[in-house]
Amino acid sequence: MLTRDRIGALIMLAFSLGYGAMIFNIPLLPFQANQAFTARTLPQALSILGVLLSLALLLKPLRGTARDDDAAWRANMKRLLTRVPGLGFPLGKVAMLCVVMVLYGLAVRPLGFLLATTLFLVTSMLILGERRHVMALSVSVGVTVFFWVLMTQFLDVYIAPLPTFIGR
Amino acid sequence: MLDGILTGLSTAASPLNILMVAVGCFAGTFIGMLPGLGPISAIALMIPITYGFDPATGLILMAGVYYGAIFGGSTSSILINAPGVAGTVATAFDGYPMAKKGHAGKALAIAAYSSFSGGTIAAVFLLIAAPSLAVVSLAFQSTDYFALMVLGLTAVAAFAGRGNVIKALLMTVFGLMLSTVGTDETQGIQRFTFGMIDLIDGISFLLLAMATFALSEALMSVLKPKTEEEKIREKDANANLGSMKLSRDEVKEMVPVIGRSSVLGFLVGVLPGAGATIASFLAYGMEQRIAGPEKGREFGKGSVRGLAAPETANNAACSGSFVPLLTLGIPGSGTTAIMLGALISYGIQPGPRLFVENPEVFWSVIISMYLGNVILLVLNLPLIPYIARVLALPHTVLVPMILFFSLIGVYFVSFNTFDIQLMVIFAAGALVLRLLDMPMAPMLLGFILGGMMEENLRRALIINNDSWAFLWTRPLTFAILVTAALILFVPMLSPFVKRSLARRREAAGEGG
Repeated sequence: MLTRDRIGALIMLAFSLGYGAMIFNIPLLPFQANQAFTARTLPQALSILGVLLSLALLLKPLRGTARDDDAAWRANMKRLLTRVPGLGFPLGKVAMLCVVMVLYGLAVRPLGFLLATTLFLVTSMLILGERRHVMALSVSVGVTVFFWVLMTQFLDVYIAPLPTFIGR
Repeated sequence: MLDGILTGLSTAASPLNILMVAVGCFAGTFIGMLPGLGPISAIALMIPITYGFDPATGLILMAGVYYGAIFGGSTSSILINAPGVAGTVATAFDGYPMAKKGHAGKALAIAAYSSFSGGTIAAVFLLIAAPSLAVVSLAFQSTDYFALMVLGLTAVAAFAGRGNVIKALLMTVFGLMLSTVGTDETQGIQRFTFGMIDLIDGISFLLLAMATFALSEALMSVLKPKTEEEKIREKDANANLGSMKLSRDEVKEMVPVIGRSSVLGFLVGVLPGAGATIASFLAYGMEQRIAGPEKGREFGKGSVRGLAAPETANNAACSGSFVPLLTLGIPGSGTTAIMLGALISYGIQPGPRLFVENPEVFWSVIISMYLGNVILLVLNLPLIPYIARVLALPHTVLVPMILFFSLIGVYFVSFNTFDIQLMVIFAAGALVLRLLDMPMAPMLLGFILGGMMEENLRRALIINNDSWAFLWTRPLTFAILVTAALILFVPMLSPFVKRSLARRREAAGEGG
């Protein structure tokens, strides 16, 4: 049966194998190849350890309290994947927050700190289900401006406040 | 030593540093109170601010945050039965029932006095233990350091709890793997960079800590919606705290408990791998046993001793965990690991040399612990009713703020937008691992120790002419490695031993 621990073990097994395969891409100069410790030594040891430990976790028998833990975990996962009326999927919200964070990273230079941050805060509040729009907007603007003033005026960190097309 | 104390006192007592202790305690209390965000996140969130200061000030600030976070965690444990940090889970056992009886103020006061005494007594131990250990550790060579790091990493896994040892080891190895990304320092060879310029310097520890702790903890809290019952509890929490005064009998009951729990907490804190969480549970269990059957029955129903014991022990363990960090440069927990990471990025190499080369850092941290404890008591205790309002802040506002501070904290250090994307990738990965109940602290510890471990091993090999024999020929190295193996394997074997003992006893019983 695919239990919680076994899923984790499979992920780590895949990672260790992928990591192990990439070791061959580490370039070694000819004279380095014969040394006792090269740039590849530790990664090789780690990938072997990773594979062994993942296999140990994968093959560990499920007994006693571990079985109950797994059942509780399963129920919880089911809840996360079930739609809550009016709120959407819990995991969907997290995924949307991740997308918004990526977009924020892309936007913070071209849009400038003030606009990008305000937009980021407002959107993520709305994603989390905040209904008081005026409150969300005013808190976002307040935090953004306060933070910008704190950084530029008191801590001497320069951040371009405005979008690039308006000038800095 | 008196010289050192005076150096520390003059550094720690500068107005800026006193302010930083206060800011740290305050911010730590605030963040620690938020359920889901632990001391690692709290410290990670403060690190970008510390980059502007000198190392001593930075470390003082972080130590303040650490204390504050544990203290804040106990506040939410007591008021709403939702421990903000793992170290205060045991606090909720008796703190919440006491609050439910209408003595929330008293419970908070007991927690504050116990934390203060635990922290202060342990700081005295630290003052004595750290310098003497630092002198001994000057004799350590790179082979011993390598062995010590192995010990630190295995100990964290071994203390991860039943059934979690393999997982914790796996996550440690994962952290070590992540630490190999970037340019190999000795030979200048790029490893696992995929030809990307942004990865040549490796993954910054601040980025990893923020992404896998602050960001992913905030995202996890989205997945755990509050139940109606919890919402009601949060509203009630601020309504009436009751009196904060303690009766003379209660104080009398607390004093011996605090004495015992401070010693226990400090010793557990010094051990690599065991931190505030284990210390608080051990102290709770010990007091329950000492209390005897009659008093022991009060435990879990609002006992003064049951609240004082874990609160004293977790703060004492915090002070204790600074011993290996300051003397050996080897962190024993995720929290001290992140402090080590910060110290390295200030350009300070912790370890025995720290005591010699940066005595002001070494001593001022110790001295600032007294200050931190005093500030927690005189500043936070009266302010608790106000700080507790943070519990009533809606999640919809709080989570975006934490996301913003984490992202911007990393971005303002590097000014590289690639870092923001990388953080999201790590946070998403960490979220998956957290959902699978994989422990994250061993990963962070592995990541931070990885580079140092490889460097020391390599140096050891060079010194020993490429021979691995030093692993068993140098007595100190060998002894440390054997200890590491014992810590790891003895608990694994104990079920078998118990079973065979039981079988033997059964056989004997049948025979006789």
